[in-house]
This record gives sequence, C-alpha cells and structure tokens, in this order.
Amino acid sequence: MDIVIRNGNIVDGSGRPAYIGDIGISAGRINQVGHVSGHGATEIDATGKTVSPGFIDPHTHFDAQLLWDGAAKPAIEHGVTTIVPGNCSLSLAPLKAADRMKLVGMFNQIEEMPLVAFEQGVTWNWETFDEFVGRIQQDLTINVAPLVGHSVLRLWVMGQAATERTATATETAEMQSLLRQCLDAGAIGLSTSFVDMDEKLQPVPSRYADHAELDALCAVLAEYNRILQVVHEFYDIDLTIGRIDQLAELSLKHKITTTLSPLFINRGDFEGVDRVIARIVEQNAAGARVWPQVQTRPIDISFSFAVPSLLFIRLRGWYRVMRFGTPATIMAAFQDETQRQQLVQEATSMMPLWSALILRQVETEANQQYVGKTLAEIAELRGTDALNAMIDLSLEESLDAHFISADMGHNDDDKVGSMLRHPHVMIGASDGGAHILSFSTYGDTGYLLGHFVRDKQLLSMEEAIKKITSDTADIWAIPDRGLLKSGYIADITIFDANTIDRGPEYYVQDVPGDGHRYVRDAIGVETVIIGGAVAYDHLQGYSDEHRGQVIGAPQR
Amino acid sequence: MIKVRKSIHPCATDTWESIAARELAATPLDEGVASLQSWNLHVFSRAPAAADSPRAGNPILPSDLVFLEPPLSAQ
Ligand SMILES: [Zn+2]
Repeated sequence: MDIVIRNGNIVDGSGRPAYIGDIGISAGRINQVGHVSGHGATEIDATGKTVSPGFIDPHTHFDAQLLWDGAAKPAIEHGVTTIVPGNCSLSLAPLKAADRMKLVGMFNQIEEMPLVAFEQGVTWNWETFDEFVGRIQQDLTINVAPLVGHSVLRLWVMGQAATERTATATETAEMQSLLRQCLDAGAIGLSTSFVDMDEKLQPVPSRYADHAELDALCAVLAEYNRILQVVHEFYDIDLTIGRIDQLAELSLKHKITTTLSPLFINRGDFEGVDRVIARIVEQNAAGARVWPQVQTRPIDISFSFAVPSLLFIRLRGWYRVMRFGTPATIMAAFQDETQRQQLVQEATSMMPLWSALILRQVETEANQQYVGKTLAEIAELRGTDALNAMIDLSLEESLDAHFISADMGHNDDDKVGSMLRHPHVMIGASDGGAHILSFSTYGDTGYLLGHFVRDKQLLSMEEAIKKITSDTADIWAIPDRGLLKSGYIADITIFDANTIDRGPEYYVQDVPGDGHRYVRDAIGVETVIIGGAVAYDHLQGYSDEHRGQVIGAPQR
Repeated sequence: MIKVRKSIHPCATDTWESIAARELAATPLDEGVASLQSWNLHVFSRAPAAADSPRAGNPILPSDLVFLEPPLSAQ
C-alpha cells in the first residue's frame, strides 16, 4: 500500500453517517475502506480528524493561473482537489494566435486578471483545445475539468463578426465540429454568458448568438452527455426564471444537464428567490435538469483606484476613468476641480455606500490612524464627507488606499443555509481565480464547513461534504471521484472539523509581473491527497507530486 | 405552477418595432414600442450597437430575453 490513513472520522461523500476507519491507497486509487491490515509506505494518523473526498469547485476562472501554477494556489490548501475552469463563455482555447490579445482583454475586463500577468506569466504555445490541455498537463497538481467557452468558439469561427451578428448555418456547423474537437480533447462541457462585457464594454461574443445557435451546440453536448453552464442576468428574478425555462427546454430536448450561476440570496428578495427555486423544482418535476449554483460566502468588494472595480460599474463617469485611465490620469481627474466635482456629483446619491466603506490598507504612516475606520468616521475626523475623504485618501496614497465594502448581501445565515442545503441547489459559484482585485475567491468550502456546519449547525457535516463532492461529481459527470470508495481515485482531504475555516482576507503580491490579489489562507486543513499522492501537507507545504489530471482528456 | 412572465427570444434582425408589430399586433405601433421598452429596461438602458456595426442603433441582442408584459407585481 502506498498510503494508509488510520483512524479517521470518515465522511465518505455519500451523505451517510460518518464512522471511524482506515483508508488504504495504492496505484492512485482507494483500494480499502474500513479496516486496513496491511502497512502503508506512508502512514497518516488521522485520529480525531475528518477524512473526506477532495472538494470539487465547479465555477472557477483559474484558466490563466494554470499556465504558471499547476496547483491553482491556494485552492488545494483549502481542500479542493478538482476545479472547473472555462466558465462564463471564456476559456483560453481554442484560440487562434491573432485573437490572443482580444481574449486577454476579455479576461482582464471580466475576471480582473492583470494584462501584465499574461505578458509575463504566459508562453503562448497552443491554439487548439487539445494543445491547451497538453500545455496545462505539464506539472499539473490539481485536477482540472475544463469547460470550453462559447465566446471563444465564436471568435475562432467568425473572427470579428463574432461581436456583430448571429452565425450563418455554415458557421454554426463549424462551431459544432469545433466543439466536438474540444469535447474529444477533454472539455467537460460548454459555457456561455448572457451578461458579460468585453474590454471595450461591449457585449461578449456569446451574447450575439441566437437561441438556435445555442440549441445547435447543445445537440453536440448531447452526443457526449456533457453539461451547459450559463451566467445569466442574476440581478433580476424574472430574467432568472426566463433563463431557467430556456435551460429546461434545452435540457429536455437534448437530455443534457444545465447549470446557471450565480444565484444570490439577498435580503428583501427572499420571495423572489423562493419563486426561482419553485420554478427549478417544477422544471425538474417535468424531467429537466437545471442546477442553480449558490455560493457560501457573503458578498463584499474591496478596491483601490489603481484598478477598475465592479463597485463602480453603474457609475459610468467613474468607471470610464478607472477602466481606461492610467494611475496618472486617474490622479489628474481627482485633482482637476471640474472633473472632481462631476465625479462627486455622479456618486452623491450613493452616499450610504461610501459612508459604510472601511479603509483597510494604506502605505503612508500618516494615514495608518484611519485604518479599520469607516469613511463616515474618517470624514468626521477630517471635516469633510465620505466621498471626498475617499478621494483625498486615494490622492495622498498615490491610489494605494484600499477600501472594503463589507456585507453587501447574500449574508442571511438562515436563508442562505437553507438554500445551500436545498436538494435542487448546487453549492458552487466561488469564481475561484477571478476578480482577484475585488475579493478572495478562495476558502468558500472552509466557510461552509466552519460557519454553516459547525457554528450555525444549518447543515450536517455529511450533507455538506456530499454537496461539494459526490453531488458535484454526479452533476458534472466526473467519473470515479467524489466518494471514499474502493476503486475510486484517491483524491482525499483530511481536516480538523473543530477548526476548519477560511482565514482573514489579505492582499498579496504573487501574480506574475508583480501583480497583486486578495487571498485567504486555509485553517484546519491538514493533508490533501490528489491521485494517490500527498499534494499538500499543512506542516510541509506542497510536495513535488504532480498527479493532477485533465478529467476526460485522453491519456498521453 | 408559479406564474411566469411572458417572454420571447428575439430573431436575428429584430428591433423594438418588429417585435411590437409581431407580438403586440393589436396595439398601435408607437404604444407597443413604448411598452416593450418600459418592460425591458435591461435592454433599453443598454447603449445601442455602434454606428459601424451591422446592428447600428439597435440595443437588442440575439441572446436577449424580451418580456411581452409588465412585471407581475405591476399587473
Ligand atoms: Zn464566472
């Protein structure tokens, strides 16, 4: 036996009650569960610890990061052993050399992946999906179940017309055969978007597709029994329900699984959320498979004026200054009397939002005294209003003043907990690896198991683990993973149920090209095994084992 | 069954006028267009396609959902 895990509290992913037992691993797979008499080359004492299948994160944008970091740090430290990148119509393949910068622009706009990270972290040596899979398979530590993006298929087949019009019959047929090639090369399904904007603030290519085009692509998904992922107009209940009906129609017609994300649960809209779920249940009763994804963490957004922030997307003047400006022009806009006045005027109606912002980080000694205070408090101390305090601090810090808008929604424990528990809801939508300059997308599983399971007791440990392991594997048709069961691939997370959590959010410089991002460390995750080898241990860090697989890709 | 707001997927060449003429045939065109716009702020509030685009001036995208009635709360 390569590894034996002894005396752990086994939560096997099936939802059945936990029990004390051993797990034996050899040749990458679990070969004994219960009592293991043989000795392991590596023995892991899991007394007092919980042993579960590795977690599966179904909504991520780790696409770019996988090119320089095959472990998708810090996902594995949090117990995640499989990620699904390529969501929301965007993947890095198939991609013709001529379209690279267009796609980089979209990733930058939508997922906040810095341009310089692509310049310095990426060697562009692929075009087809198969070549991309081959590229990321080198040194892969985490398992990857990649979606192929609808916008990218359009770009390959239609070029610039992808952002102008519907496809012709010939182009649709070409997209179908291109999708077949991607699925043959290991794509887990297709992703599309009804909401995203590109780097010029124009709709992404997938939004120029009519229903017939999506229908034709779903016919190909059906040939392979693959999934369709959609990001929908999540800000509106009626539109969400309309999209559920559209997905249900596609699901029934083609007998495919579909998923839409994110579904947020905001105070004041519980009735709307209940209608959404009621519609999901009705469509499921009719035979359709439509899975809404609900994230575990509350919404918060951090920002500095050094990069464009989601928070300003509805304030056109501000957003344009941030999106198309350089640090120097942004500073100039704040310094110019007239421009500053216009900006202040545009944002005044949102004063409650600005007042509640908390200053989280500054560079200068003089302003340290304000860190941790709200802008309302700082404004009072400085004899101004919150909006002007935000601008003044940003100028004083050469834009390196960081603010957080905390508790922006999705934060009613009872309601969110009941949704996370709901049999028709998939836990997901972490957006791992995206929005790296707005919030940490890592640690959602720790938050689930620490906050909702241990502290609030809104789900049992067995229920929660099932939701993020075997349920996800079933829905996404990921074989041989998600259960601690003889014959299954040994993707295993060992953690302390008494302490597991997500650590505090902090700002770190670890993106190629000296880029920054917000991350959270894991708490309580001790050992993570991927493909039958220890990938991470909380005392020793990452190992040299690279057993991650592109799930569904042919063996090379 | 929960009540679902009636909507359509537009055709590739659809405009406010063509949808109003087809779907709200009993209503005068101007009135139909105005109604559609007020029921579909997610489309109406969007900047229309640029002048050099084949869709110039038209904010409706082929992937949109276009409602044919007001929000249920307003009915
Ligand atoms: Zn996404």
